[in-house]
Amino acid sequence: MKFNTLRVALALAAVATLSVPADAHKLAEKGKVVTVADSKLSITPTRDWNRLSGKVGKHAEAWTLDGEQLDEVTFYAAIEPGEALIRERSKKKEPLPKFRKDMLLAELPELLERTYRTGKDARDFQLSGATPGKFLGRDGVSFTYVVTDADGLTRKGEARAAIVDGRLYMVTFDAPRLHYFDLLAEDARALMASATL
Amino acid sequence: MRALGAGIGLLLASPAAAQQAALLPPYAGVYQPKGVDEIGLWQEADEEERQLAASNLLIRDERLTGYVRSLLCDTVGADRCGAVRIYVIRAPMFNASMMPNGTMRVYSGLLLRVRNEAELATVLGHEFGHYESRHTLTAFKEQRSGTDAVAWMAVLTSFAATYQNVRSFQNFQLAVYGGFYRHGRDQEREADRLGIAYLNRSRLRPQEASAIWQHMMEEAEASASAKGLKKPNFRLIAFAASHPPYAERAGYLAALAAPDGADREDGADRYRAALAPFLGQFLDDQIKLNDFGASDYLIQNLATMGWTGTLWLKRGDLYRTRGNPRDLIAAAEFYANAVKLDPTLAEAHRGLGLSLMKTGRASEAVVPLQTYLTLRPDATDAGMIKMMIPGESK
Repeated sequence: MKFNTLRVALALAAVATLSVPADAHKLAEKGKVVTVADSKLSITPTRDWNRLSGKVGKHAEAWTLDGEQLDEVTFYAAIEPGEALIRERSKKKEPLPKFRKDMLLAELPELLERTYRTGKDARDFQLSGATPGKFLGRDGVSFTYVVTDADGLTRKGEARAAIVDGRLYMVTFDAPRLHYFDLLAEDARALMASATL
Repeated sequence: MRALGAGIGLLLASPAAAQQAALLPPYAGVYQPKGVDEIGLWQEADEEERQLAASNLLIRDERLTGYVRSLLCDTVGADRCGAVRIYVIRAPMFNASMMPNGTMRVYSGLLLRVRNEAELATVLGHEFGHYESRHTLTAFKEQRSGTDAVAWMAVLTSFAATYQNVRSFQNFQLAVYGGFYRHGRDQEREADRLGIAYLNRSRLRPQEASAIWQHMMEEAEASASAKGLKKPNFRLIAFAASHPPYAERAGYLAALAAPDGADREDGADRYRAALAPFLGQFLDDQIKLNDFGASDYLIQNLATMGWTGTLWLKRGDLYRTRGNPRDLIAAAEFYANAVKLDPTLAEAHRGLGLSLMKTGRASEAVVPLQTYLTLRPDATDAGMIKMMIPGESK
């Protein structure tokens, strides 16, 4: 009897360790369509990507190739009016800027900048370009920026954004200006181009 | 238990018993640190300084750095300030710090908040006071002996881990940690006293020292009120507070300021002139922090010396980005004020156009947006703005 209990316990333990826990990182395989950030936003990767399990925000998801410090694609999907892009550390004491329904496309880079400065402690953010561009088949904005965080590391970034049915959809790619951005920008752009609703 | 206490007493007493001969002040000529602790701290500080000197966040402006240095030298005396290296860093917080090896960091958020030379000199003198009194070294030694004592106490307690002994140990641990923070606050008070002593001897008005903390309290109140939080308590000392509370500092600095210095100058004009080239950028860093109350307080505080185009522009940005319909009406008015004072402020025309566009006055928005593009044909967002003007090519 005792032996049996032990066997069952061991078997259960084995199952628990072998099966992928719900919060593990996942693989987004080349060519397979996936929906991201608990939304209808679908992405078809052109190469394998890592989907990070850590929740950046209620409607946000981060992907990376070599680790999010070196390259990070973040999907913000169906952000509702009155909602912040990323999770707020303290809603009352350190509120983050919110998406507003009446925001103009030209103001979306400002929303990202203010989110980086408040939520990610960025110390400098320079918009290096913003042009009208199609995203998810709608009129949107495509912009590039250079951002320096509190450690003094400078990253380059590129983003596409559009407002669909009053909700914000945005994809950003951030990587250190030195080496990594130029190395992986094309892969990130391919991800952005594959996005559909 | 009594034996335990005696043992700990011995442990605590031993480092203090090692008396040292009086050291040279750390700024004296090419001072070399003495003893393993000081040498170690200086090595770490040297390493940090190497990184700091190469940082992307360092404001490499000879005039601004030179200005801060000359103010420090005026305050603490030319013989003392020679060894100090000043680094102005882009960081929107009210802060400055000094490492044991003479590295002084001055944050841009501090420069934005102080209003004259006397206020800045107060903070510089305070930081220099930490350096001159070797506060980092003292605190390091205290923390090492304190944590040693806690570790030994844990070992001794484990020999007789009764409920009573464990509770005594926990009380002891709390008392030691509370002691670190209390000593830290005492060091801050000592540095405040040194700072005001320098200021009393300088050519500047020492009464301004207390004004800094008055403004900090007003800013914190404005920030809390805009966030719907209750008014902060400026007398409360939290267990882990690193500094004495604002109200206490304002009180003793006012009492320690030399009365005969009250009619000295505060250097507000010179300060404003030195900061002018950076004001726009420092304000921009502040208003994008999403702290509406504090930012609006700071802008209005700066405006007591006269509204400028830049101040109206930044206030417009602050209101437009908060974005309530009433804010957009106010923002349009602020941008219009900015444009009136300085018609070449391209950003103000842009903000005016965007605010009008969002308040349902798209036809009125066309002219300011066109003016923005005329003033800044190569603006990074020119394409986006063109899209909003009917008839402009995309």
